[in-house]
Amino acid sequence: MRLLRRQRKRRVCVVGLDGVPFQLLKRLADTAVMPRLSEIIQDGGLRQMRASLPPVSSVSWSCFMTGANPAEHGIFGFTDVAPDSYRLRFPTFADLAAPTFWDKLGESRRRCAVINQPATYPARPIPGALVSGFVALQLGKSVWPKDHLPALQAMGYRIDVDLQQARDNPDLLLADLEATLETRRRAARYFWEREEWDYFQVVVTGTDRLQHFLWNAVDREDDPRHARVMAYYRAIDEFIGEFWDRFRRGQSADREGEGFLLLSDHGFAAVNKEIRLNAWLRENGYLDYQADDPTSVADITPATRAFALDPGRLHLNVKGRFASGCVALSEAPALRAELAARLKEITFEGRPVITHIFEREQIYQGPRTNLAPDLVLLSEPGFDLKGTTKGDEVFVDTHFQGMHTWDDAFVWTHLPIPDSPEISDLAKVILGWMLG
Amino acid sequence: MAKGFTLWFTGLSASGKSTLAERVRDLLLERGMKVEVLDGDVVRQNLSKGLGFSKEDRDTNIRRIGFVCNLLTRNDVVAIGAAISPYRAIRDENRKLIGRFVEVYCKCDIDTLKNRDPKGLYEKALRGEIENFTGVSDPYEAPEKAEVVVDTANEDIDTSVERIIGTLEQMGYIPAGDGRGYSEDEEESIKERLRDLGYI
Repeated sequence: MRLLRRQRKRRVCVVGLDGVPFQLLKRLADTAVMPRLSEIIQDGGLRQMRASLPPVSSVSWSCFMTGANPAEHGIFGFTDVAPDSYRLRFPTFADLAAPTFWDKLGESRRRCAVINQPATYPARPIPGALVSGFVALQLGKSVWPKDHLPALQAMGYRIDVDLQQARDNPDLLLADLEATLETRRRAARYFWEREEWDYFQVVVTGTDRLQHFLWNAVDREDDPRHARVMAYYRAIDEFIGEFWDRFRRGQSADREGEGFLLLSDHGFAAVNKEIRLNAWLRENGYLDYQADDPTSVADITPATRAFALDPGRLHLNVKGRFASGCVALSEAPALRAELAARLKEITFEGRPVITHIFEREQIYQGPRTNLAPDLVLLSEPGFDLKGTTKGDEVFVDTHFQGMHTWDDAFVWTHLPIPDSPEISDLAKVILGWMLG
Repeated sequence: MAKGFTLWFTGLSASGKSTLAERVRDLLLERGMKVEVLDGDVVRQNLSKGLGFSKEDRDTNIRRIGFVCNLLTRNDVVAIGAAISPYRAIRDENRKLIGRFVEVYCKCDIDTLKNRDPKGLYEKALRGEIENFTGVSDPYEAPEKAEVVVDTANEDIDTSVERIIGTLEQMGYIPAGDGRGYSEDEEESIKERLRDLGYI
């Protein structure tokens, strides 16, 4: 009886590929760069998926792991602004206000092994084991339970690549990416064997790093590093293939691979220019600084009516909401409408560059809506929105080659998902499959 | 800006409301804030002495606690209410009255509560010796939009406290930083990493 019950238990394995766009994934499968992927997805089930708004990993992965809206889980970006001081604050895993679906699985006595999940630092107890991903700093605070720490240290586990080196030396970045992927594989194998998991998840973040710094080499065959970059995707293909094989060799309910999911948390595109929103707000009389060389929005004057946080989040400086707010609540709707209309008119060489302007109510539903930005902007691929306070120029060259996009993340699974999926839909899909 | 607010803990008996309320109170006192705790058990011995556990009496009790929390809040005191407060409508009434109101739902499954049972109440209630016992013979309406949900069956007290303090910081009710979350060095390292990826 016990054996039969165990065999019927439904398990799930998720491989996350941070920032890999739907079109790229499809192309890599079609052109035999990723033959295992091609084999896995041949029966269909590959969908284009919308990421969170804004499409950054901390928000998107928080939507994935909770199935909740940012106004419920409380993560609006990599940064927040403290209403009393305008100081930037950096949300931790403790700021995630909604329960993860791992917690819900724990309530049904299911165990999870989750490796390199962004936005979970410092690690806290989950029903099973967790290794935090970006922005994790120290391995000691990234692992729960701590018993696993010596094994990870012994295998030389790397949380991330050396980002400072990445900008200056692309060849070292590629070597670093390969070595980091290898330690990720070792860690994933370790937890696969050691944990009695029902839910297994590993995220590869190297794809995002590669695409930020070397998107041209990903996208263009004539780039001198194209072959080596394709070799990295081939290594990822082997990685996916290994866990697909392991999963299908598992218990009887896994053999058809029903519970296997592949997904990314946002898409990517080539970038040509940064659009510095605070420079635009200043140029147009909505914002000013008290300092000559402002380092953050903490340096704005009390007369500032609006300011931007990365990547395209605009806050009105509303009285009562912020310590030095100067915009009366009654004036806020008109100011918001005025800003939206003027932002739509921003052009570069005659071309409009802002594609979407979402009002707070269009995106956010939940108890923390009052903390959400008033407007969220998306831009034309090629123009990366920024909330920096540096410089006076609105359009600035960038050393990055790739930028995030919103509506071309991907998901592949045989589980029933909505026709036009959003990343926050998947928690319910996974829970529905596992718990019936 | 106003400094007072009400932090309202709701949840079944033994779900950790009083323990968390005391821990949070101590942290806020350390930060130099004026704080008062209105614990349901204590309030029933004075302000609400004589009230029973019918729905009407329970509602009166929660309204009284809400009334005092409102007075404290508007005088720049942090009022912490810790009471089962089983009915959503009355909690929402207090939310509306007070405005600066943060609801913390202490979520805990009944099996864990039965195992904890520090006062032996669940055992008695299950034997039918206590009438109107919330979660056993009386309803509990869980919040639908609590600002914080702490899973006291699965997470440790430090995590729950950190989550509550984090929410208060994020909402601007208490100053950010002050020894929680990241240290200054860690914050610098995070800034550097975000800068390296062009996020700030």
